[in-house]
Amino acid sequence: MSVVPNMPKSWREETKPHKFCPGCGHGLVLKALGEAIDELAIQEKVVFGCDIGCSLLSWDFFNCDSVQTHHGRTTPVVTGVKRARPDRICIAYMGDGGGYAIGAQHLVNAAARNERITAILVNNCNYGMTGGQMAPTTLPGMKTQTSPYGRDTDSMGYPTQGPEMVAAIAREGAYVARGTVANVRQLKRYIKSALQNQIDGNGFSFVEALSGCPTNWSTNAQKTWEFIEKEMPQYFKVGEIKTPGKKGE
Amino acid sequence: MTTNAYKMKQVETTKSVFTIFTGLCKGCGLCIEKCPTKTLHWSDTLGVYGTPSVEPKENDNCTACGMCALVCPDCAIVIERKK
Repeated sequence: MSVVPNMPKSWREETKPHKFCPGCGHGLVLKALGEAIDELAIQEKVVFGCDIGCSLLSWDFFNCDSVQTHHGRTTPVVTGVKRARPDRICIAYMGDGGGYAIGAQHLVNAAARNERITAILVNNCNYGMTGGQMAPTTLPGMKTQTSPYGRDTDSMGYPTQGPEMVAAIAREGAYVARGTVANVRQLKRYIKSALQNQIDGNGFSFVEALSGCPTNWSTNAQKTWEFIEKEMPQYFKVGEIKTPGKKGE
Repeated sequence: MTTNAYKMKQVETTKSVFTIFTGLCKGCGLCIEKCPTKTLHWSDTLGVYGTPSVEPKENDNCTACGMCALVCPDCAIVIERKK
C-alpha cells in the first residue's frame, strides 16, 4: 500500500482535495503549472499571484510564496514584485473576467511595457464564481445567466481574442500562446516555455488556457469535453501565437 | 494530513493496477469520457463529496495508457503497469 497520489511536488498536499468544483479546468491548468515548476526546479523562487474570481481558490494551492490581489490587479502586483526582486520568478494567475474585463488595461500595458513576468489566464467563457454570468469570452449564441437567449453579437459583440490582442501589442521577446485542458501535455509545454522565457529575461510571457466550467455550463462530463474540444476552438485557435526570435503571425 | 490519510481503493486489471484515491475523487467523470477503451465506469464506492467515484469494470480492456490519470484535475488516479 505504498501508492501515493501522483501530485506535482510544488503542490501543497495538506490543502488537497482542492477547492475547485468537480471537473473544473483550474485543477488541470494548475497541475500543468505545478509540473512545469517541478521540471524547471524553480519552486523556491516562484512568487504566485492569483486574482479575484474562481482563480483565487488557488491561494493555498502551491508550496510557493503566494499573494492574492484585487480584481484584475494581479499583473501589476506581480510586476511590482518582479521589479523589486528581479531574481524571483513571478506568475500572475487569473481568469478571463480578471484578465479581459476588469484587468484588461493592466494586461495590455504590461505587455506593451514588456514586463518580465508570466501571466496565465484561464478562459472558461463565463464568470464562474458569481454564478455563470456573461463574460467577454462568452461564445456567440452561448446561453448564460445574463444572456438567457444566447449572446447576441449585434448588441454584445464577439468574444475577446486575448492572446491575439497581447501578441499584437507585445514587443520582440514576448511569448504568447493558447493551450487547452483537452491537451494537457501541450499546455504544460506552453507554460514551461512561458516560464523559461521569463527565466531567460526575454520579455512578457502570456498563456491562455481553454478550460471547462461544468457547474455553470450545466454540462455533464461528455458535454463538457464536447464544448471544450469542438465549440471553443472555433473561436479560440490553439497554438503558439508569438515566440521570441520569430515574427508574430 | 499525510498522504496515507487519503482513502483509497485498488482494482487489479489484466495489465495494470488501478488506484483511485476516493479521498480526492470528486466524481466529475472527465476520466470516464477520456478513457479510450471505455473501461472506466461509475463505482459504488463514494468519493470525497459523496458522489460516485470510478473504477475499471471490463478488466481485460484496460491498456494502462494513463489517460485517466492525466486528465484528472485532482490527481486522484494512479495507474501502474504490470511488468
